Amino acid sequence: MFRTIFAIALKNAFLRKSRALLLIVMIGMSMGVMVGLEGLYDGMSLHMIDKSIRSDSGEISLYAPRYRLENDIRYRIEDAGEKVARLQKIPGVRTALYRLQVDGLAQTATKSNPSRAIGIDLESEKAFGKFGDFLKEGRLDFGKNGTFVGSELARKLKLKIGSKVIFTAQDSQLNIQSIALRVRAIIRTTNLSLDERGIYLPRERVAAFLGLDPGSATQIALRSSGENDPLLKKEIQNLFPDLKVYTFIELYPQLKQMQSMMDIFNAITFGIVMVVVFVGILGVMYVSILDRIREFGILLSIGYAYRYIRFQIMMEALFLGFAGYLLGALLGFVLLSYLQIHGMDLRAFSEGLESFGMESTLYATIKASYFVSTFFAILLASLLSVILPLRRLKKLNPVEVIRDAQ
Amino acid sequence: MVGLALKNLSFYKGRSITTFLLTFFSAYFFIVYVAFMDGSHSSMLKNALDVYTGSMQIYQKEYREEGGYDYLINDTQKVFNLLDNTRGIRAYSARVETYGIASSGERSAAMMLTGVDFEKEAKLSELKKALKEGVYDSKGACLYIGSELGKKLQVKIGDEVSFVGSAIDYSFVAELFKVCGTFKTGMYDFDNQSAFMNRDYFDEIFLSRSSASYIVANVNEMEENDRIAEEVAQKLPEDLRVYTWQELMKSMVELMKIDSLFGYISMSLFFLVIFFVVMIYGFINVSTRIREFGVLKSIGLSDRAIDRLLLDEIIILTLAALALAVPLGAYTAYYFEIHPIVIPGMSEMYKQYGVVSDTVPTRFSPLTIGWNAALVFALNLLSILYPMLYVRSFTPVEAMRHV
Amino acid sequence: MIKLKHVNKYFYQGEPREVHALKSIELEIERGEFSVINGPSGCGKTTLLNAIGVLDEITSGEIWLEEREIAHLSPREKTEIRLTQMGFVFQAYNLVPVLTVAENIGFVMRLQGYPAEEIRQRVHELASILQIEEKLDTLPSLLSGGQQQRVAVARAVASKPKIILADEPTANLDSKNSIKLMEMMKRLNEKEGITILFSSHDAYVVENARRVIMLDDGALV
Repeated sequence: MFRTIFAIALKNAFLRKSRALLLIVMIGMSMGVMVGLEGLYDGMSLHMIDKSIRSDSGEISLYAPRYRLENDIRYRIEDAGEKVARLQKIPGVRTALYRLQVDGLAQTATKSNPSRAIGIDLESEKAFGKFGDFLKEGRLDFGKNGTFVGSELARKLKLKIGSKVIFTAQDSQLNIQSIALRVRAIIRTTNLSLDERGIYLPRERVAAFLGLDPGSATQIALRSSGENDPLLKKEIQNLFPDLKVYTFIELYPQLKQMQSMMDIFNAITFGIVMVVVFVGILGVMYVSILDRIREFGILLSIGYAYRYIRFQIMMEALFLGFAGYLLGALLGFVLLSYLQIHGMDLRAFSEGLESFGMESTLYATIKASYFVSTFFAILLASLLSVILPLRRLKKLNPVEVIRDAQ
Repeated sequence: MVGLALKNLSFYKGRSITTFLLTFFSAYFFIVYVAFMDGSHSSMLKNALDVYTGSMQIYQKEYREEGGYDYLINDTQKVFNLLDNTRGIRAYSARVETYGIASSGERSAAMMLTGVDFEKEAKLSELKKALKEGVYDSKGACLYIGSELGKKLQVKIGDEVSFVGSAIDYSFVAELFKVCGTFKTGMYDFDNQSAFMNRDYFDEIFLSRSSASYIVANVNEMEENDRIAEEVAQKLPEDLRVYTWQELMKSMVELMKIDSLFGYISMSLFFLVIFFVVMIYGFINVSTRIREFGVLKSIGLSDRAIDRLLLDEIIILTLAALALAVPLGAYTAYYFEIHPIVIPGMSEMYKQYGVVSDTVPTRFSPLTIGWNAALVFALNLLSILYPMLYVRSFTPVEAMRHV
Repeated sequence: MIKLKHVNKYFYQGEPREVHALKSIELEIERGEFSVINGPSGCGKTTLLNAIGVLDEITSGEIWLEEREIAHLSPREKTEIRLTQMGFVFQAYNLVPVLTVAENIGFVMRLQGYPAEEIRQRVHELASILQIEEKLDTLPSLLSGGQQQRVAVARAVASKPKIILADEPTANLDSKNSIKLMEMMKRLNEKEGITILFSSHDAYVVENARRVIMLDDGALV
């Protein structure tokens, strides 16, 4: 019996072609665009988080106590190389590295800007966060007296490849020291503080400049498998009780909050769109049932059970909803794939975006959850939409229906 | 036709109520959304401009490109006279900047030291209002420094700070100053890097002889800014150039455009859905009345007259919804412009992005509300297009036989 | 007044299910006639009536209304002809559901731009002839079938068209109401001089018509 009803429902759902098509297009377009937006917004925050993790903090970072408050090389980590080696042995740690940073002033002949010398080991950085991806101009080779400069700093100081820049800072003996450098590469991480300040140098060079041991570091950062960072943090904290251990979220609360805000925004959007979609399906189902009220009256009078009608109508709504979902999933997938590969080109606003730590081409991300949650929401909206028309139908007396419709 | 349209609307209540509510909802939501978006943007801009940037700045042509002391404005008095004779200029002041390393005991940090006329600055920017501790307009070897910079150098009022940098003639300068005042504008970078000092003493130490890196000015009416800037530019000597706030804050302006763009993209999703639902309800309504349209056509009502009838119906519904949504939306926008929403801690969280206030105001702009409403109106008109074509596709006989 | 010359109408032309609905119809209807097209169900009565009322396209032939060929006019011109020269009464009454009885009767006059007062007078005049005066402010859905059909007739004659085309007007009425309707239409035909053409297979209608046009399988007999 239910198979027959199923077949009838399938036929009826698409009987009124224009109406069914409109509804399917509505669900499809709304869902497609909504999924596209979700993916784009998620992609934006994920990219920002990813860039911050790769360029700076990793999933977990270690600092000497007080360093994060004072930003002073007095609060440094000694024997960082040995500590990194120990960290790398912990299961769940993919790779680790250490950096030595100092704040100072970058100057050209005519311009000055506050900056931060970041002593790095290029090979470790490449393994840590694909440092090569951050190269905007030039070559990743320090050579003699070479430096890589953050893109915003380069813009402010009008630095080009080959430009000379002088970095001045206080060394460990409290003396003011200067170092003359030649720009070899311009780096754009989209991590705002690095792009605005970063003067990248070989780590040993920074150590020598500051009069410190080559094993000195201001930060140890590690990449984890990301499965359970809080637990890993605890483990590392136990291993190095004298150091401060932070997870990414603790270091970049504003990015995490931005992501939560995007999630909330997406959820609200999702809710509103689904309510409106529900209203759309409701309208179509209501009229579709009213149109056939005589037919249902006849069916009821010849002994067709109300539950069969209910099942038939529910199936009709589900078919329509599902057809809309399929179109929406297809549209959304195509849109997201395009945005994932080619991105949304906002180069016209590149200065604004980059100066606030964002890419000028925004890439989307695709998550199965977009399609799963939308699937259930549309199915639910479809099912809910028949409640009202069904109640109306239930109140009817078959004889009256047939008589009235004649 | 309007009479018949009205009767149809009251007869087909389901469609009328749904369309009315959806239109009302979308128009109200749109007006309020845009008001909040524009409001937060203009408040961010206004804060940034009021704090320090001003609404226009005058430079030697090469200064912003090349930088350095070779491109200072030497004859500031000439520009002052010109600004005095320009109507609409509220206040102006000359600033001269230099960079160097500031140290206090064991701490050092990069610092932008600016020589200013404290009296004029008080009228122009919010430097004076930002005073946190000590004195604002100190004389002699006194510094008025940003609170974050003070923290970094670990100095308090009365402490000494040494400064190493260069004078205007590129000669080496090393000078000892006393911290006489601290300020907090809320703009993190600014508070983290800047210090100010009395112009006369600055000239003495850095040999700047009343020249200026740039001259900053504010106007009485922000809307007049572009026009006034243009007027000033006409009168300026060849080698000087005016930059309006749009150029000075280019990245912020661009970011706001992006934010608006995303806002509109998000809104367009709602519009898309609502447009379709309004269209579906319009279509369903029309399709249940096909026989009626068949009769009307057969007794001599032209296709154009039927189009007109359908248009009248949607226009009446839309105008009714807008008549409610627009005043309500306008009131909301107006109310929150005067009583902005406060989100405690917001400025702290987003200090890096130039957010200096915890309030989120709206912007009440009749023009914006006007185009918001016009867009909703246009979309509703568009939504009836397909139903119209649908009715037209039937001959009178087909329409009358339609079941 | 109306002349059909060699009128043919095909449905689904060129397809396997092709139907030749009207076969070389040659017909002339004089002014003031009270005629009925009669024939078995499916013989083409409604098709012929629709063709005369320029509601439907014909495949070939000509239809003349007085001195004007009307079958090949543009849709807009046909609409104009229907509005100003013809009145229609349908089997299913087909009143505008949102308009009151009075508004329905006066609707065609309003479309033609008659002054409100003239419409009002005419509506009352017709309502009294058709005995629906008490129902003028009622919506059609609250009327009986017979009353609705009388309103439809009133609407059709209100603007004094040259011809009224009535497609099975008594099909949904009981015999009492059918008789009443026929009497009223006869009176209108005599009093107002309006040409009336029915399609019907109702024996009473056929008996009362002055001329019976017999149609069988799309051809006149």
